[in-house]
Amino acid sequence: MPILLTVDARSGVPIYQQIVEQVKRSAALGVLQAGEQLPTVKQLALDLTVNPNTVARAYRDLERDGVIETSPGRGSFVRGDGTSASTRLAARDVVRRTIEGSVREAKAMGLSRSDLRGVIDATLDRWFPEEQ
Amino acid sequence: MSIKISHLSKRYGALRAVDDLSVEIPSGTIFGLLGPNGAGKTTTFKCMLGLARTTDGTVAFDGKLLTPPLFESIVYVPERDVLYDWMRVGELVEMNRRGFKRFKAQRALELLQMFGIDTRKRARSLSKGMKTAVAVAIAFAREADVLVLDEPTSGLDPVNQRHVLNLMVNEAARGATVVFSSHQIGQVERAAERIAILDRGKLVLEGAVDDLKANRKIVEAIFPNETYSLNGLAGDPRVGRVDRSGRIVRVTALDGADEIARTLETAGGTGVRVIDLNLEDIFLYAVAPASATADVVEGS
Repeated sequence: MPILLTVDARSGVPIYQQIVEQVKRSAALGVLQAGEQLPTVKQLALDLTVNPNTVARAYRDLERDGVIETSPGRGSFVRGDGTSASTRLAARDVVRRTIEGSVREAKAMGLSRSDLRGVIDATLDRWFPEEQ
Repeated sequence: MSIKISHLSKRYGALRAVDDLSVEIPSGTIFGLLGPNGAGKTTTFKCMLGLARTTDGTVAFDGKLLTPPLFESIVYVPERDVLYDWMRVGELVEMNRRGFKRFKAQRALELLQMFGIDTRKRARSLSKGMKTAVAVAIAFAREADVLVLDEPTSGLDPVNQRHVLNLMVNEAARGATVVFSSHQIGQVERAAERIAILDRGKLVLEGAVDDLKANRKIVEAIFPNETYSLNGLAGDPRVGRVDRSGRIVRVTALDGADEIARTLETAGGTGVRVIDLNLEDIFLYAVAPASATADVVEGS
């Protein structure tokens, strides 16, 4: 099963949330492809040594967010149109949390909205030079 | 099988070892019991299993009080081994095979092999950790509905500790209810879905680990000078504790950290940040001496 998840149990981030974000990231990066089967709840619980109910909760969240679909008796699969909408949405979820933290920190340190916009624009220019 | 502990108390003379403990453990959960030494964890287990007479209160399994027909469904691994230590490990397996209908001797032997235990050895010749492993191997071969494990990883090396945790996960996955205690908070944090923290016999905190982590945060803010007012937080039930150190204030939020962060900003705080707490932080906060949990939030 080409899915490599790790959880940091000692982190303050809930374990189900860590699983959700890693699966979303893997789907967005194409490590998990559309139609690919995820481990069963029990298997992933054993692989990570975490409570089965915690994994089940992560899978429910992933299903609600449209990243995976579960059919009873068959298992959980990465949702259909892998390349486009669903994985883009998943990627956005992952990135939003990081940006949220950075913006909070920037505001805390006294940067204004326009200061921050300058930083973000410069970063975007560096990473998306073709769209300048 | 669900477990419901209602108003359980156990007194030894003047000592209240367990004091009015009420906890519900849903079927199929891994439940971690935490607490400092002498908090009443082992006494709670003994009362649950009828090994100590309760002073007050009840323990029910699927709504029924403990009676001999339930013994087959419940297994207990005590902290201090009560193995018949003159027996050989293989004889202990055989004894359990005869004693319990559901006991899977083959499974026990597989688990003993996994732990690297020679079944020809006498139990008393084993190290403390290996004795724990024998008790665990036999317990997990019982196919019980309820497993009560008092420090089931004590004395084991990290590899075997992980084996024990995975066995617990496996039991929960097939629907068994696992209740365990451990001083290693990292293990509880990893494997337990719900926890209860006992301190001096009393329940001080109970809940789902992930919910506690999602809700409990520290909100830190820096104020321009030392005369600031936090009246906005006075009487807020979501504020667990306020620690002031000069211009820096740290608020332990039981919930609603983002709103508390905004309140601090409104009060003139800068550099406001929300800090995640892990289970160890939450544990230490829960069992902190009362003097350290001043909840004064009026301005100075």
